[in-house]
Amino acid sequence: MSSVKKTWSAALLATAVLAVTAACGSGGGDAGGAGDKIKLRFSYWGSDARQKMTEEAIKKFEAKNPTIDVEGEFSDFASYYETLSTKVAASDAPDVITIEIRGLREYADRGTLADLTGKVTTGDIDAKLLGSGSVDGKQYAIPTGANVFPLVVNPSLVEKSKAKMPDDTKWTWDEYVEWAGKITEGSGGSVYGTQLSWNPGFLEIYATQRGEKLYQGNKLGVSPQTLKDWWAIMQNMIKVKGSPDAAKTAEVGANSVDQSLLATNTGASGMWWSNQLGAASKAAGAELDLLRLPKTPDAASGGMFLQPAMFYTASSKSEHPAEAAKFIDFMINDPEAGGIILSDRGIPASSKVLAAVKDKLPPADQKVLTFMDSIKGELGDPVTAPPKGASAMEDMLKRYTEEIIFGRMTPDDAAQKFLTEANAALAG
Amino acid sequence: MAVNLSSAAPQPAGHYRSTKRSRREARAAYLFLAPWFVGLLVITIGPIIASLYLSFTDYNLLEEATWVGLDNYVKMFTEDPRYLNSLKVTTIYVVVSVPLQLAFALALALVLDRGLRGLTIYRSIFYLPSLLGGSVAIAILWRKVFGADGLVNAFLSVFGIEGTGWVSDPDTALGTLIILHVWTFGAPMIIFLAGLRQIPSSYYEAASVDGAGKFRQFRSITLPLLTPIIFFNLVLEIIKSFQSFTQSFIVSNGTGGPADATMFNTLYLYLSGFKHFDMGYAAAMAWVLLLIIAGLTGVNFLASKYWVFYGDEK
Repeated sequence: MSSVKKTWSAALLATAVLAVTAACGSGGGDAGGAGDKIKLRFSYWGSDARQKMTEEAIKKFEAKNPTIDVEGEFSDFASYYETLSTKVAASDAPDVITIEIRGLREYADRGTLADLTGKVTTGDIDAKLLGSGSVDGKQYAIPTGANVFPLVVNPSLVEKSKAKMPDDTKWTWDEYVEWAGKITEGSGGSVYGTQLSWNPGFLEIYATQRGEKLYQGNKLGVSPQTLKDWWAIMQNMIKVKGSPDAAKTAEVGANSVDQSLLATNTGASGMWWSNQLGAASKAAGAELDLLRLPKTPDAASGGMFLQPAMFYTASSKSEHPAEAAKFIDFMINDPEAGGIILSDRGIPASSKVLAAVKDKLPPADQKVLTFMDSIKGELGDPVTAPPKGASAMEDMLKRYTEEIIFGRMTPDDAAQKFLTEANAALAG
Repeated sequence: MAVNLSSAAPQPAGHYRSTKRSRREARAAYLFLAPWFVGLLVITIGPIIASLYLSFTDYNLLEEATWVGLDNYVKMFTEDPRYLNSLKVTTIYVVVSVPLQLAFALALALVLDRGLRGLTIYRSIFYLPSLLGGSVAIAILWRKVFGADGLVNAFLSVFGIEGTGWVSDPDTALGTLIILHVWTFGAPMIIFLAGLRQIPSSYYEAASVDGAGKFRQFRSITLPLLTPIIFFNLVLEIIKSFQSFTQSFIVSNGTGGPADATMFNTLYLYLSGFKHFDMGYAAAMAWVLLLIIAGLTGVNFLASKYWVFYGDEK
């Protein structure tokens, strides 16, 4: 027999076993405590700019409360929820947790969050907005600020393409498609009329216009027909070249707003949460306007709603619940904190804080504020925390929309499959 | 320990000393190995056992795990088309990219083995993609290069061809990842080069005296003598590509899109665990992946009997 063969086999087998079992390592570890001070951990996500502001606000809080030491736990958005769920699983949850509405019920129902009813002053917060942070009558979450979901438009590009700005109080989806197609045509193809969106906010508004709700209890509330018509808007838009072909649409759709068609001046409009207006204006180097989304011809309402930008919540396992509530109260209600954070976490929820910082807001957010005021009378019911599993909805809508625009599924088929999969995810 | 040593000291008798010494050396060795053993137990074996247990539970990270028996494993194959799709995508990726990559690596190794001037420079240049290929930066670069306004389309437009957004079109997205994988041919190439160097040049001299051409020499000498190396590369690359994650995670923005076209098995596993809060299901997937890879490796070893030639057998 051959020894060469044996040596080879052994070496190979050993390497193979190693390679199969190779696992990812992970780092970690906590910094030491700070003397006899009470230590609060506060987790949030965002940009470097947000981190700087937050650190400044934390310093102010610590100056007012010398016995409390707040430690910010900061990460980028992409990895935020992964890190958070791992910390919670390891019984190492931060005392104060920033969270979005889509994951709220997930954490609240599973006993992770403390009831903040009566622990944080909420008198200056719009009742509809505040209601979005309550689950089954308990105020688990305090909204930091509000957003709306409008169509962001670059008027100068619209004009250059020999189109007119629409009357957004009564335009329809058909008119929107036609309008976008005209812009592309009028610009000779150098500017697209719009960039498609498949954001759940868009579907929510569209469903409301047809008298449906995105979520109904533990299920989706949209009918298959509504989904089909919703996707038809996108199909038509691509057909009239109001937006780029499927591949490019999917590509720009995956980018952040500062790489959108609007931001690169190759698109005249697009739908985003209003807190993106500043970034979009800056990237485009142009004055941008906000419009109401179009309506269905016999729409009961415009469907626009106030969306909580994010929430502050407190861990139910926190050893210092009173201090955690105190910190949240400071971040929400203290004009000094508001003066630092401004509109970084949405247009401030507290009307008192808003009044104090109004003039200091950047121009883009002043515009958002004006827009919010102008649609105040049309706003729909307050949003409620969606059922568990709703965090997966955004990716799911994206996937099915891609199946449709690439023509790999018919809208009929996609609507059925989407509803089945989504309801299974929500129930599970 | 010090007491032990001093009491042992007064009786230095013959072979006792050597065993004592060797025992002491063994102890020292274990001591040096201890950190590694602890690491292995705590960081590798522990989590592996935990993951096996979790694979039989419903565990959402936030609440206690509850035992569900084989449910996760059954669900995978009976009611989760996305899981089956992820297996399909991964299989296509492995089946297409591994042979292509090895062929590429072998071809370049053959060229470099000719003794080019500046060989080390070429070798380094060709090896570079292997170092970079798994990195996040390259995956981001890939998205740009194969984007609708990317380098590839700029090049194609020279010939009047209007390309699509390669990364975001479900029909071509996986192709771009396969190209990325093939591009990282450096590691197997280096191993091939080493293998080529081991073939005695006298074989070639004898063959050319007998009138064998270059191609004949390659087929009858190079290839058979290189089969152990090819086998080695094949096994390693199959395992590695089944475990690919970064490329798809970054290129698709962590969604496996467009339309699940780049949804690798590992990415779906990750999403299930950390995004859908279904850690038990994710653990079950990890174990199935392990079984698949182990099974394939086993089959590979069995099949190797029929085509791998170790030089000293008939």
